[in-house]
Amino acid sequence: MKIAADVRRHLTRHLGPLLPIVGAVAVGFGVCGLIALWVGLSPRLMFQQLMIGAIEGPQLFETVARAVPLVGMTLAAAIPLRAGIVNLGADGQLALGGCAAAIVALYLPAPDLVRLGVALTAGMAVGSAYAALAAAGEIYAGVPLLLSTWLLTYPAKGLCGYLVRSPLRDPSTAWPSTARIAVGSRLGSLLPGTPVNQGFLLIALLAVAVIFIDRRSSVGFELRLRGLNQRFARYGGVALNRQTLGVMLASGAIAGLVGAIMVLGSQFRYTDGALTAPQYSWSGTLAALLAGGEPLGSVIAAVLFAALQTGGFAMERSVEIPRVLTMVLQSIVILFLAMRGAIWKRS
Amino acid sequence: MAYLEMIDIVKRYPGVLANDHVDLAVERGEIHAVMGENGAGKSTLMSILYGLQSPDEGYIRFKGSTLLLQSPLDAIAHGIGMVHQAFKLFESLSVWENVVYRREPRRGIFVDGARARAQVAELARRHGLPIDPEARVSTLPVGVRQRLEILKALYRDAQVLILDEPTAVLTPAEVATLFKVMRSLAAAGCTLLLVTHKLNEVMAVSDRITVLRNGRVAERLVTADTHVDAIVRAMTGHHVTLRLPKQPREPGAVQLEAKDLRVEQHGRRVVDDVSLSVRGGEIVGIAGVAGNGQSELIEALMGLTPVVQGSVLVAGRDVTHASVAAHRARGLSYIAEDRARTATAASASATDNLAMGFHRTAPLARKGLLQPQAMRAWASSLIERFDIKIASPETAVGTLSGGNLQKIVTARELAHNAPVLIAEQPTRGVDVGAIAFIHGELLAERERGRGILLVSAELSELLALADRILVMYQGRIVAEFARADADEATLGLYMAGGARA
Amino acid sequence: MISTFFNAAFFDQAVLGITPILLAAMAGTLSERVGLFNIALEGEMLVGAFAAVAGSHFGGSLQTAVLAAIAAGALFSGLLAVGSALLRGNDIVIGISLNLLAAGLTSFLLRTLFGVSGTFSDSAMAGLPRLTVPGVASLPLLGLALGHQNALVYVSWALVVVIAVFLNRTPWGLRLRGIGEQPAAAIALGAGATQYRFIVTLTGGALCGLAGLQLSLGSLTLFSENMTAGRGWIAVAAVMLGRARPLYVAAACVLFGLSDALGLRLQGVGLPNQITDSAPYVVTLAALVIAGLKQRRRTAGVI
Repeated sequence: MKIAADVRRHLTRHLGPLLPIVGAVAVGFGVCGLIALWVGLSPRLMFQQLMIGAIEGPQLFETVARAVPLVGMTLAAAIPLRAGIVNLGADGQLALGGCAAAIVALYLPAPDLVRLGVALTAGMAVGSAYAALAAAGEIYAGVPLLLSTWLLTYPAKGLCGYLVRSPLRDPSTAWPSTARIAVGSRLGSLLPGTPVNQGFLLIALLAVAVIFIDRRSSVGFELRLRGLNQRFARYGGVALNRQTLGVMLASGAIAGLVGAIMVLGSQFRYTDGALTAPQYSWSGTLAALLAGGEPLGSVIAAVLFAALQTGGFAMERSVEIPRVLTMVLQSIVILFLAMRGAIWKRS
Repeated sequence: MAYLEMIDIVKRYPGVLANDHVDLAVERGEIHAVMGENGAGKSTLMSILYGLQSPDEGYIRFKGSTLLLQSPLDAIAHGIGMVHQAFKLFESLSVWENVVYRREPRRGIFVDGARARAQVAELARRHGLPIDPEARVSTLPVGVRQRLEILKALYRDAQVLILDEPTAVLTPAEVATLFKVMRSLAAAGCTLLLVTHKLNEVMAVSDRITVLRNGRVAERLVTADTHVDAIVRAMTGHHVTLRLPKQPREPGAVQLEAKDLRVEQHGRRVVDDVSLSVRGGEIVGIAGVAGNGQSELIEALMGLTPVVQGSVLVAGRDVTHASVAAHRARGLSYIAEDRARTATAASASATDNLAMGFHRTAPLARKGLLQPQAMRAWASSLIERFDIKIASPETAVGTLSGGNLQKIVTARELAHNAPVLIAEQPTRGVDVGAIAFIHGELLAERERGRGILLVSAELSELLALADRILVMYQGRIVAEFARADADEATLGLYMAGGARA
Repeated sequence: MISTFFNAAFFDQAVLGITPILLAAMAGTLSERVGLFNIALEGEMLVGAFAAVAGSHFGGSLQTAVLAAIAAGALFSGLLAVGSALLRGNDIVIGISLNLLAAGLTSFLLRTLFGVSGTFSDSAMAGLPRLTVPGVASLPLLGLALGHQNALVYVSWALVVVIAVFLNRTPWGLRLRGIGEQPAAAIALGAGATQYRFIVTLTGGALCGLAGLQLSLGSLTLFSENMTAGRGWIAVAAVMLGRARPLYVAAACVLFGLSDALGLRLQGVGLPNQITDSAPYVVTLAALVIAGLKQRRRTAGVI
């Protein structure tokens, strides 16, 4: 009977923390239902479409395709969050990464596969370098990362917006964007007939790697303990500044990679604002917050959010409820959890 | 009927009966000592008197009427004031702002600063507590801050003043001043309750003594009619040996050395050209009142604070500007003063806490990967060896008692088997059993040839354990004594800055 | 050349740009002094901007717009008050989620109440009328900026002084400062920490609501999605730079307002607007870095 006792202990330890989350989701749905009623829409239809719309027929693949950048941005947010650091600059790193990838894919004189590889790498490199700027601000001038990362998104997006309007502009398109990337330099489709591309493999591998490193490596140990008590980590010999730089480099690299994947795998050009429009970085941050920076929980939350957003599109198409309601729902869930002190209780 | 009575007080916490039908009777104008070891119940009793807690049974009677206290504000309103061990002051505000806070004299909708300053100055003069009303609290030394706390209580018309371990942070000279103030307050009609475990002070200043042991009143004594031994017997239940058996030892090679160490903060030299050395097999004690540079010295030795000048050598290697990790790798381990905020992570498990510092090397990690089995085994063995009372190694350490938490820190730092151990206030706020255990461990490590640097505010601890005692005052080492040549009076003199070496 | 560059319109633009940031920064200052870290200024401002437009459109008058902005800001900040002041949840997480909630909610209501997406504008809506201060309005160069503004601008300046006096000279200001600095000590002496935090947060919300009003009805009368564009965050930076001292914070706001106007001016002389739009953010960052480096040098030796 030890097995039964073990199982029960495991269940309470792992499922126990989920209860407040379930409660928060319930509250979120409740509030959104009320909002829907207030503006004269049907809550029942809303929920129906949200939940069915995520997995019905081809929508399932849409959810999977959406999960790729969402999980990526969640990982980008979760890694620093594990150490207690908030990276609000993921949008900027995303844009720069995508832009860099587009430039390489369009103009690098090299064979197709090489161009693809270099484009992906360039996206990561540019994203991480930009994130390192913010890290330097914190390390050398004490500027809080929370602020510096946020402020840096504006010049980043501005630069990309300018590049795509003047030097790189493709005059044949209506929106400011680069030329179309040749088929050979793209990330191919993974499941033909669906929007799922090979970026899926990259992100899936990344997720496994991050989860493994977090749980099983010394680096992950140091990260987690720093998030729990920074003074303790320092006292125990953890090199805090190096760690700060490390998580920001990783975070920026992942955000840049997501940008590259979006450009090379689904959009096939860099269009001003197209990478940040779906607001994956915000959803990613929320998913990471939901799990307190813990990677596996963050990834699960990200997949659920992806389903929610696909459902939102379906909801808007069929019953004309604006899909931005899903963002409201996500925010309420996190807000509720934070208020109950389930996230990083204040000391 | 006495002026102030606590009658049949019972207070229970999960697993422990803190106050077991305790009676206390105090007369007006009396200085009454409430004594007992850590954990005897005196803090609980006083927190009930001050309205911080409610008794499960029993009541308080003051000046003939029963008091129902739901918060310290009620206590203050009835004339009961308390000076806590940890001061509750606003650092960036001035003395007068701290004193009149929430009872500000007003002029219209504005604070009447002039009247406030005058009132504070008058109050200070009347009770012999010299203080500058304009001074910013952050600039005040500890002894003056305590005066400020007393003024706060007097400003609110306290007729009963509870002093909780007031001499813990004072030099012997400041203690004498405090006693003078206490006597004059008592003579003016104020009733004082002195909560302490320090025998000689109780003998010096109190009129009567109530001794608590294990939550009960063990003895009521009249100071003039009793002596130290009787109090000790009442507190501990037996005659206590004040000194653990210690063999004299020939110390080995120099393991830790500081040369002309200088640390600056805000332009001030908080560590002023300090040189010291610790050899293997010896315990070097640093005596000094808190705030004279000891913490900064230790942090500099560990690499937690930058050093402006001078050098730190561990086993002969210069680590002055190296990282904390390098310091530890070269041979330093460190029991930090603040066990809750610095030396442990409260929400992490015992396993994680015990693994910190070992998480990059075998056996707990191989090639950068953690070995969970090894980590669990490591934690279990340490928990067993140090007799740490914890539900399981996976339990978060935030739930542990002070003594058990201190054992976690001690266990981990000793497990490094580093040539040098720095121990800062290793038994502060810890129950008697754990104190004896930790002292035993420190002496055992000395036997094994480890060098120990012991910083403590308890002179009795230093006198019991150290081979040599250094005294720090205002950032400098002002004296050094071999154990045989040291005693409380001499140490106290140097701690207060009198008579330089 | 300089005089045509920095002309009267430039300073007028600067003042218009400063006002919402200043109001939000005052809200942030009070929060900081009472011990709360309020980064929901952005969301509160956005909610206020939307409510002002809604109030003006559906209510028909400026008064309803003002009332709506204040009410919306205060109510929205009630979530922060409950979560942070009352339940002691994590400020940063609550702040971030409130900002996102505001963006989502205002976009949603824009579509469902007004039936448009992107921007709603209605020239029939009552905007904030400009007043004229005799004497000041006829000053050269600064006359327009200082003497010919709407009432809210002047209120914001007065507010800086009022808050400074309140904090430093009144009993409630003293108690507030004590609560922020050392809550345990304040509570031990009977200060109602929770009440103060609550009231400060709600007041801050109302101020941010007014900041939003200035944004949406202060010059042009329209609401567009995410029109706050990071001003709430700049207000946070201003509070940090000014160390929550009202006069210094106001100085920081002036700096940002000027850089905002500078960006617009540079756009006018032909620089690409994507670059010039970044001006206030870059200036903010630079100011933070410079201040941080100075701080590092001053407290050398303290980690």
